[in-house]
Amino acid sequence: MTATAQNTPAVPGRERTEIVDVDVHERAALEELVPYLEPQWRRYITEFGWQPERLLPYAQPTAGGLDRADAKLPDGRPGGSDLGLVRDQLLDLYDIDTAILTGWLNASALGAGWPEFKTGLMSAYNDWQVEMWLEREPRLAGSIHVNAHDPAGAAREIDRLGAHPRMVQVMLYIGDKPFGDPFYEPLFAAAARHNLVIGIHHSENSPTALGHHRWFAEWHTLVSQVFMSQTVSLVFNGVFDRHPGLRVAMIEGGFSWVPHIMWRSDQQWRELRSEVPWLHRKPSDVIREHVRFATQPIEEMSARQFLGLIDQMESDELVLFSSDYPHWDFDSPERALPPGLPDELVRKILAGNARATYRLPDAT
Amino acid sequence: MSATAESDQATRVCASDELAPGEMRPAALGRLPAVVIRLHDGSLHALVNRCLHHGAPLSGGRLGPGSRGTDGVGDHRPDHSVDALRCPWHGYEYDVRTGCTLFDPGRRLRRLTVWEEDGSVLLSP
Repeated sequence: MTATAQNTPAVPGRERTEIVDVDVHERAALEELVPYLEPQWRRYITEFGWQPERLLPYAQPTAGGLDRADAKLPDGRPGGSDLGLVRDQLLDLYDIDTAILTGWLNASALGAGWPEFKTGLMSAYNDWQVEMWLEREPRLAGSIHVNAHDPAGAAREIDRLGAHPRMVQVMLYIGDKPFGDPFYEPLFAAAARHNLVIGIHHSENSPTALGHHRWFAEWHTLVSQVFMSQTVSLVFNGVFDRHPGLRVAMIEGGFSWVPHIMWRSDQQWRELRSEVPWLHRKPSDVIREHVRFATQPIEEMSARQFLGLIDQMESDELVLFSSDYPHWDFDSPERALPPGLPDELVRKILAGNARATYRLPDAT
Repeated sequence: MSATAESDQATRVCASDELAPGEMRPAALGRLPAVVIRLHDGSLHALVNRCLHHGAPLSGGRLGPGSRGTDGVGDHRPDHSVDALRCPWHGYEYDVRTGCTLFDPGRRLRRLTVWEEDGSVLLSP
């Protein structure tokens, strides 16, 4: 195939650089999930034509729509539908050590209605993911998809699969609700019980602070807004005070906004801490200990600017590489980081920080 | 460079009738990936098949008119004076004839030499 050179060292002079990609989207056709659904739900797909609610008013005006144009299958299936192509275009091409699957269908970003069906659908999706992806490719790690609108059901699903050795994360897609609300406590408690990361991912149903602007380019520019909201919500509602071992990965929101949120949160905590007395430490310390930020869609900047952000965050352990394969705004592991960063920082971002966050075994 | 000298270094891409107007196909000059394009006017063009941005293979992208600036919100007028190749990933647009990005003429893909001879499409550096 025609693409960038395979095994190109990301760190010059080194044999190769280990890579952990924390955002890779596998995709199921709804029909593929039917055999995994409880019988009472099957005909809602096979006979009644249920489709996930899609709130994004735009089509994605790119060469391939949601996907990279070259990631779609010749038979018309969307990107992420075929493990062989994922191997060709990502795992083998870039010599990825571990790719964390982040899925396609997550009920947390759908409407709150009909929670029983959507919770059941998440169970079916998870079983499909295990059989069709995790059991077929050892370089993949999995995410337990749950319906956050049904926290008790989400907790049951986490308990059902939490001991699976290849599941490393509980997956929440962002709709229009801040996840720090105590309503969601059962699912955070379940994730903490199983020592799983909570992955919080942007979705087509994530709004901007002002709803939906006129153009897709505006919406895509503003993806970071909902991550600011989720970070602030988790911290100020004491999620990490209740679960001191919990780690959260913010996925598909970039990271250049993090110093801004740290500074503003600390300022508000000093001034208004009487309103949130359950928050015992300054928010930036909580963020540095518990929250990680995936790179994609990375803000393109110089090495000097990048290092400035690392300095402002006061930690080089917060940023995790992600590609978002197979979507149109895919970031190549060879091009995402600006040239000129220190080797040790590159190694941390490309793999070390993710290994520590997800407690992945060291590469052999 | 004479046609004979070019032929000495040439790589055959395909038969002439295997590349129709409005189509493109990947090729290679040794390890250098190339994309060979035949525009609707029949002219042949070749560029390095690697986007300047994230290295995407441009041969998986889309050919069409370019995008140009207009004066009003909602005024979309494709620029049919430019034959553009749009990257399959992030959508960078290149002028097929010059290799320049449409958003910055100072950023340019390397152009390769392509021609037809005895029913074949040939490529050289």
